[in-house]
Amino acid sequence: MKHLPKHLRPRWRYLAVGIETWPDAEIGRRAFQRALWYGAGNLLGDAGSADAGLKLLSFSFSGGAGEAVVRVRRGHVEEARATIGCVSAVDGEPVGIRVRGISGTVRACEERYMGRAAASSTQRDVAFEDADRSAVVRGDAYDVRTESGYVGAAAFDIE
Amino acid sequence: MYEAVHAYPDGDATVARQAMTAARYGYDGIVVRTRAALEPADGAGSEAIPTPPESDPDGIADECGIDVVDAVEVDADGPREASGAVGNHRSEHTVVCVVGGDDRLNRYAVEEPRVDVLVRPNAGPGGFNHVLAKAARDNGVHVEFDLGPVLGETGGNRVRALADLRKLREIVTYYDAPHVVSANAASHLELRAPREMVAVAEEAGFDPEWVREGLRAWGSIAERNRERLSGRFIEPGVRRGRYETER
Repeated sequence: MKHLPKHLRPRWRYLAVGIETWPDAEIGRRAFQRALWYGAGNLLGDAGSADAGLKLLSFSFSGGAGEAVVRVRRGHVEEARATIGCVSAVDGEPVGIRVRGISGTVRACEERYMGRAAASSTQRDVAFEDADRSAVVRGDAYDVRTESGYVGAAAFDIE
Repeated sequence: MYEAVHAYPDGDATVARQAMTAARYGYDGIVVRTRAALEPADGAGSEAIPTPPESDPDGIADECGIDVVDAVEVDADGPREASGAVGNHRSEHTVVCVVGGDDRLNRYAVEEPRVDVLVRPNAGPGGFNHVLAKAARDNGVHVEFDLGPVLGETGGNRVRALADLRKLREIVTYYDAPHVVSANAASHLELRAPREMVAVAEEAGFDPEWVREGLRAWGSIAERNRERLSGRFIEPGVRRGRYETER
């Protein structure tokens, strides 16, 4: 189909989203897109969800941290922000999520907010609470494995 | 803006991790609701055993660059037990919260000026009404708006939480009772940045500025109580001056 004249094309905003999980979680692109759409449907209703759009353009995730670019219709950014804030779990894995920033073009969004400090994670034995435990280390973040699952700690707790 | 969080052993992230995440999200400070996670700021009663670094609020605050406030949540079965616990903790902790959720506990918390915050007033079978709102206003007890269920629950539970928040909001704003807003995060993954909190609350019908005020209120409670706990404070309006010497 012939593309629309410029004044009729929808205007978009691009949201850079940072994602954080426990180190053993695996979340995929499709699961995250589904979580966004369901979240929007539940919070904004079908009409509001259609208005906001919330299309996932790019997604990368590894070792408990990830980032994504989400496309939103201009003028619906606050609704989209609320939806993203309400994404508490993807595929049953709890996620920490935040909007790092908003841009008018994909390129500006990627240049300004993406791809920084995606420190690779390593396994290490640490002393936590007077016991030796294994931990997954990513930058200053230490996820310590205990009997009852992971505990989030920081470099400050370990030294 | 401040956020009030749970920390290990009550939650799944240590105080330092919560503080690190909150600093990245743009908060000015966190209030740690878990009594076992932090030593009291003044170091009272811990002369014999040095404070371990992971529970020293000032050390964590220096490391992460945001304020760390020691608080306590009193979760009692009834007003009598709650009253005893509040009396014990008031002089040791900067912020004292009482967990509501039961009609008698809600009533006790708002009628006790020593309590700073009534948290989770809607969590249990309890309710909130105009009598409690007036008492909260007169005694300066802040009522917490817990956005946790809105962020984390789905379906009927979330609808009920939203309905409760709306009712609470209508009562509290009508009587102009003080309020605080929090996500009640049990781990760093449940924490949300201030702008996300405001956006979610706005979708739920809150006024954005009112929500920001609720997030800032944690900070002003901490500031006021720190002054009261300091040696210079004698009673409201009276403080030890420059020329007073120690006797």
